[in-house]
Amino acid sequence: MTNEIPPHARDRLRGLRSSAHSTGVFTSDFSVNEFLLVRKAGFEPIGLCVGSCVYHVGVQYGSWSRNQELDVLSKAMYHARELAMARMRAEATAMGADGIVGVKLTIKRLEWDQQLLEFIAIGTGVVHGDGHRGFRAHDGGPFTSDLSGQDFWSLLHAGYRPVEMVMGVCVYHVAHRGALAGLMTTGRNVELENFTGALYEAREIAIERMQQEAATARAEGVVGVEISEDSHVWQTHVIEFFAIGTAVLPLDQEIAPERIADPIMVLSVND
Amino acid sequence: MGLFDLFRGTDPASRDLQEASLRRRADIAGSLAQGRVPAATAARLQATRDGRLPWTATLTPAELLIARSHGLRPIAAVSANCWLHYGHSWTEGHQQGWHLALQRLRDEARAAGANAVLDVKMRTIPLAVENSMDFTLVGTAVRVDGLPPSAEPVVATVPALEFVRLLEANVVPVGLAVGARYEWLADWYGDARQAWRGNTESRTLSQFWDRVRRAAHAELRRNARDQGNGVLAHLDWSQMFEVESGEGQPTRYLGRHIVVASIVDGRPGGWVPYEIGMALDMRAGETPLTGRVRHHQSYASNEGEGAI
Repeated sequence: MTNEIPPHARDRLRGLRSSAHSTGVFTSDFSVNEFLLVRKAGFEPIGLCVGSCVYHVGVQYGSWSRNQELDVLSKAMYHARELAMARMRAEATAMGADGIVGVKLTIKRLEWDQQLLEFIAIGTGVVHGDGHRGFRAHDGGPFTSDLSGQDFWSLLHAGYRPVEMVMGVCVYHVAHRGALAGLMTTGRNVELENFTGALYEAREIAIERMQQEAATARAEGVVGVEISEDSHVWQTHVIEFFAIGTAVLPLDQEIAPERIADPIMVLSVND
Repeated sequence: MGLFDLFRGTDPASRDLQEASLRRRADIAGSLAQGRVPAATAARLQATRDGRLPWTATLTPAELLIARSHGLRPIAAVSANCWLHYGHSWTEGHQQGWHLALQRLRDEARAAGANAVLDVKMRTIPLAVENSMDFTLVGTAVRVDGLPPSAEPVVATVPALEFVRLLEANVVPVGLAVGARYEWLADWYGDARQAWRGNTESRTLSQFWDRVRRAAHAELRRNARDQGNGVLAHLDWSQMFEVESGEGQPTRYLGRHIVVASIVDGRPGGWVPYEIGMALDMRAGETPLTGRVRHHQSYASNEGEGAI
């Protein structure tokens, strides 16, 4: 036998339960591989952290033919997410976590009310195995990250640590076509500059806000930036532009580029 | 108080905000018309380039890792778009739309002081407005250690991991080529459908389809020639319709084909500088080794709109 089963696992298999585990049970939504990778990165899961917020999103109408940010709605989407995230983070703080990985931020509609949205943030609280406190966020609280266990391991190997999930929101009313209708008869392909411009402004606002959040968290950069668009419960011309990513800082000892191992190339011969 | 003032907020703070927004919109409109990067975006990219704002990247941590180990540094997530109205042709609009967006993405990359844009994804905003479509590109501008900023940054519509693999093989992905073609066929002899025959080829439609497809691919080749010496990673999209005409008129068919591909530039006969081991995954069903995540969101389905 080349791979010995470690003593604890062997004892447990024999039906013995060690006293070390009787004090607590950890909960997580990790898959097996995620769990192993988080552990390989030097962390232990301690508990699932959840924050939720049912939010009544107010009403705001854009004027029919104008492009504009609907700031009341932008604020609502921001505030609701903040509340959910803050509650999740409070739970992590209470259990003494150094950070939360694999945060999933979702929005649920409630069938019986158009304007009620439920915002849920859920992730797994982790602690550093050796009690290293240098992984915490700039305010001393737990870091937050939407990276999976796999991504978390890769990030640390790239020489960075997660600091905070950062986001930018812009709910935007894209003008209706009325004023441009004349173009439809020209029989040429033409750019609708008004529409192009609307997307430019909305996206710029969302990215700007996200980057500003990262600057506030004193991060060096943001990885895994995703920009998405969704109409949620509004009419089709009202679109939320949402930018989200994980703000990162270099590890205390930066890894020199030449020391980063190249992945091994394999060809799956299954198919 | 003019009519216009009715739309403004009453308190000074929201008035300021609205005026700032008006200025921003005017600047975006003016900048796009003159082929410049809008001022707010340019200022943000400059601040990011100078290190006054955190860098941003659409890369995953694994991609960041491989980018770093190859001397690439992310500067900023960049994006550009073009919303096009189809007056003349839906099909050919795809070429115009993507090219204009591509040009603007390059402008942003230049403003960020980049050598390349990686991980460029094609997206379409989910808002249906009659006879028009949006072409959006999102990617990450990077600089290569030891190189000055490029006047013409390359745009790679492949994921960062693949970008690095190509560089190692001495091939550079440089841009996006589009071949789009449509044609009408009038079935004067009524033999397209072959409804009254048994098993038989419809030569009329075969040849028609063949013509449209070849034309689209020839267009793709022409399109790629200015920038590189090959294309990879095709996205194909095609449709054929039957259109009934009035009494005494032949049935008409519309065939259209759109091909989009990454343009690459490299020397032929290069070598691949790493060993490849074979792996047999014993898992039944889908395996992470063969599973694919779609890189581009546009052309995900064959449902299109518009006449030609």
